[in-house]
Amino acid sequence: MNEYLSCVMNIGEQMLLCGAEVHRVEDSLQRMCSAFGAVRTDIFIITSSMVATVMTPEGESITQTRRINGGGTDLERLHRLNDLSRRICHEKMTPAQIEEAYTAILETKNYPFSLECLAYAVIAGSFTLFFGGNWTEAAISFFVGSLIRFVVLFVDRKVINKMFGKCIASFAASALAFVAVQAGLIPDIDKIIIGNIMTLIPGIGLTNALRDLFVGDSITGLLRLADAALNALAIAGGYLLFMCTLGGMTL
Amino acid sequence: MIKTEILQIITGFLGSCGFAVLFNIRGKRLAGAAIGGLLSWALFVLLGYWIASEPLRYFIVSVTMSAYSEILARLLRTPTTTFIMTALVPLIPGGSLYYTMAHALSGEWTDFSGRAIYTAQLAVALALGIVLTAAVMRFFVRPIHRKRESKNDKSTDKTVSADGNQ
Repeated sequence: MNEYLSCVMNIGEQMLLCGAEVHRVEDSLQRMCSAFGAVRTDIFIITSSMVATVMTPEGESITQTRRINGGGTDLERLHRLNDLSRRICHEKMTPAQIEEAYTAILETKNYPFSLECLAYAVIAGSFTLFFGGNWTEAAISFFVGSLIRFVVLFVDRKVINKMFGKCIASFAASALAFVAVQAGLIPDIDKIIIGNIMTLIPGIGLTNALRDLFVGDSITGLLRLADAALNALAIAGGYLLFMCTLGGMTL
Repeated sequence: MIKTEILQIITGFLGSCGFAVLFNIRGKRLAGAAIGGLLSWALFVLLGYWIASEPLRYFIVSVTMSAYSEILARLLRTPTTTFIMTALVPLIPGGSLYYTMAHALSGEWTDFSGRAIYTAQLAVALALGIVLTAAVMRFFVRPIHRKRESKNDKSTDKTVSADGNQ
């Protein structure tokens, strides 16, 4: 049972890291534990920690905890983890089999970096048009977007503090937009920033936070809300920092 | 007028595609996610002809697109998040959040609080729509789930698509 529980915890941990909803993960873990014949399962998950206690038919209870660090969104991996958890519920799998399937899932690939650059560029360009920018602004925004992907890459690798990382990315977006304004290509900085900020701003985080709150995962919801607020603040900070560097210069 | 709206629908779609790639969605699910983005803004624009209130429109679109996501998720046997997160991309109050921030930075506090409340309204409308639809779907789907498990999982795929159509 101990081995099983550790496999199940691995899966749950990865699910959270891939951006699954907390109550979904709790539900999956519960089902998997029951599939192994646990008499009683108590699971408590928040975004940064997992605790699970299962009671075996022999009356022994086992507890494991995990600390969850970081996390992003990888829905392909989540899809495969979800499949695995479903298989575990339906077939009797041995810990070794689960371990093997789990390792295979960990090797799920991301899209190549060049495509991610393109995605950033497309998002930035599209939302510049979406929020009423013209075609020149969209083109510049597209270009800036792909550069921002490099900034984000650098920040992910070198900067440990996530908030500061966001700050740098937002600073870079403002600076690049300003360069375009100085070059006389466009009248103002607004639309470029708005397009580029879509990839950074925690709009999705804000919505997810509220969703968690309404579902009843209050702690997770509040944690996410705080996270979204701090991120927004960090992005604003980057923008402000740039404006301060400019000093009295007018746009 | 119509022209800008069509442009918004197309760019909203492209934005959804971009996020779908960043979220590492692949294959059939990528198509489903991207089409969701197209439909959500198209529906938002369409509703604009009858309903003036944006938060209300957000709520209706959110309910509809969540239903779309829940159904598609069951058909393709994948977590619902895949489609919800991408389909609602054009509606994400990122723009509004940006203006909130910009007002704060330039010290326009009246505009700031107005914007902040507006952003909160939009986000709440979105989240409520998602939660409501999920609750309703679960109400329908749970009993079937249990029946399937007792039937020893004979024809999972068929039962699942039946779930989706509920």
